[in-house]
Order: sequence, then C-alpha cells, then structure tokens
Amino acid sequence: MGAEPSREVTGIFYHPSFSRRSYLTTGRRLADFPAALDPLLRRPEVRLFQCVPATDELILLAHDPRLIPQVEADPL
Amino acid sequence: MGGVVEAMGRVAAGQLRNAFCFIGAGGHHAGRNFFGGYCCFNDVVIALRQARRAGRLRRVAILDTDAHHGDGTRDLVQDDPEVLHVCVCDSEYASADGTKLDLAAPDPWSAGESPDRAYLTLVRSAFPVQAERFRPDLIVWYFGFDTHRGDYGDRGLTTGAFLGLADLLLETAGAACGGKLLVVLGGGSRTDLATTLIPPIIARLAGVPAP
Repeated sequence: MGAEPSREVTGIFYHPSFSRRSYLTTGRRLADFPAALDPLLRRPEVRLFQCVPATDELILLAHDPRLIPQVEADPL
Repeated sequence: MGGVVEAMGRVAAGQLRNAFCFIGAGGHHAGRNFFGGYCCFNDVVIALRQARRAGRLRRVAILDTDAHHGDGTRDLVQDDPEVLHVCVCDSEYASADGTKLDLAAPDPWSAGESPDRAYLTLVRSAFPVQAERFRPDLIVWYFGFDTHRGDYGDRGLTTGAFLGLADLLLETAGAACGGKLLVVLGGGSRTDLATTLIPPIIARLAGVPAP
C-alpha cells in the first residue's frame, strides 16, 4: 500500500467486482468506474484504496451468527 | 463492507481527511437478525463498532438520504445513545432522547418550491443543528441516489440536490467534528446517474475542481 496517506487526502474505497455486479438490484450501475475517476486520481489530494473482504468476526460485531448462512443461501 | 471498515478507521484516526466508499451490496436494511432490500450486512454499524473496538471513536452521527428507511441501521443503533441516526424517508419519528430521528421527505409532486430546494431545506433545518449539538467524532452520510428523478425511489431530485447535500455535510462535519466525514454509497440503479453524480461529490470532498 506504500506510505501512509496524509490527513489532507480524500480516500476512495473501491473494488473492481463492484463494477461487474454492484448492488444487487441493478447489476452494473458502476460500469463506468473506476475510469470515471481518472481525472481525480491524477490529483495528489485523492487516493484510491482497494477494498478487502470482511471477515466473519467483523460481521458478528453487528449480526446474529445465523444471518451469515442465510445471506449465503440467498439466490440474489 | 471491508472498505467501509477501513475507511472509517482511517478517517477516525486522522489518516485521511475524509472518504468515499463504493459498495458491492447495500447495508442499511440489514439488522441484527434480518436482511433484505438488497442489503446483506450493515457496513456502517460494523465499521463503527470496529472503530470503537480499536479506540478510534465513540460517537457517530449518521445522515441517511437513501429513499427508503434505514430500518436495519435503526434496529442496530436504537439503544445506542452514542449514535445520532437521522433518516430522511416517509415518516416522522423522534426517540425520547432525540438521537433517533426520521424526517418525512417532501412530496415532490405537491405545489410549491422545487423538489431540490424543499429537500435541502428539510435536511438543513434538522441535521446540522442536531449534529453540532451531539458532538460526534465522525459523520457518516449514507448516500443513495435512488431519490434522483427517474430512479426507483424518485423524490424528484436533480444533480443540484446531491451536490447541495455534499456541501451541507462538509460544512456540518467541519463545524461538528473537525471535518471527519465518511460517505457510503447506498441505493440507486442508473449507470448514467452514478457516473454523473459520484465524481463531483468526491471532488467536493477533496476540495478540487469537478472533473
């Protein structure tokens, strides 16, 4: 990831999979990204981060353990 | 969801000025033991609990301007007095302690001022004063663009309303919590709207000209 970002930087958190199938109602609403951000990403005030997957441990900070298999089994 | 967790941690720690989070699935309709509305897990609440666990913040103010009520988020923070949750939706509600508020969005088809102006007036009348009084460590804007004219949660809004909301949130975060603002993408279906709306909002966050 390189050097720590400056507190003067705006972070953009994104993953390429979001542009292939983002938000389950709509498919490819983010199809134009990240290309649509190119002019911004050339600026030093902006930095792109690639999202990492969440762990079950994180999910359990808010959710009942039984929710995880229910989400996994959802056909959407 | 992992991106929202990392983004909130970095903004809370002062490693980033602010942040914009794209998402793969929604979050605000996911409660402790239910999910729906194309939301799986509640990214915002998970992120705030992780940030608390890391000692990076305690108090968070959330403004939800997605078209539909953030019922999952409300379920998870209902008994948490250190979360201000203001949701612009279809109903009016105020909890006894004043930290959970629902604001009925204006009817865009009623006579009177423009939908953009009416919506911004409503939010401006309620959120900044509540947030500044609450003194959060960080503000989250749950940003759905489904309220845009022609999208599935149509409130008659146009681009100006969303840019106005971005300016209002930046101003409020500047006054309430040193500018610590996290924008999390919510609903909205149209590719053309995402492409038109998101880059200028990020430009505002960064304080640079819109592309």
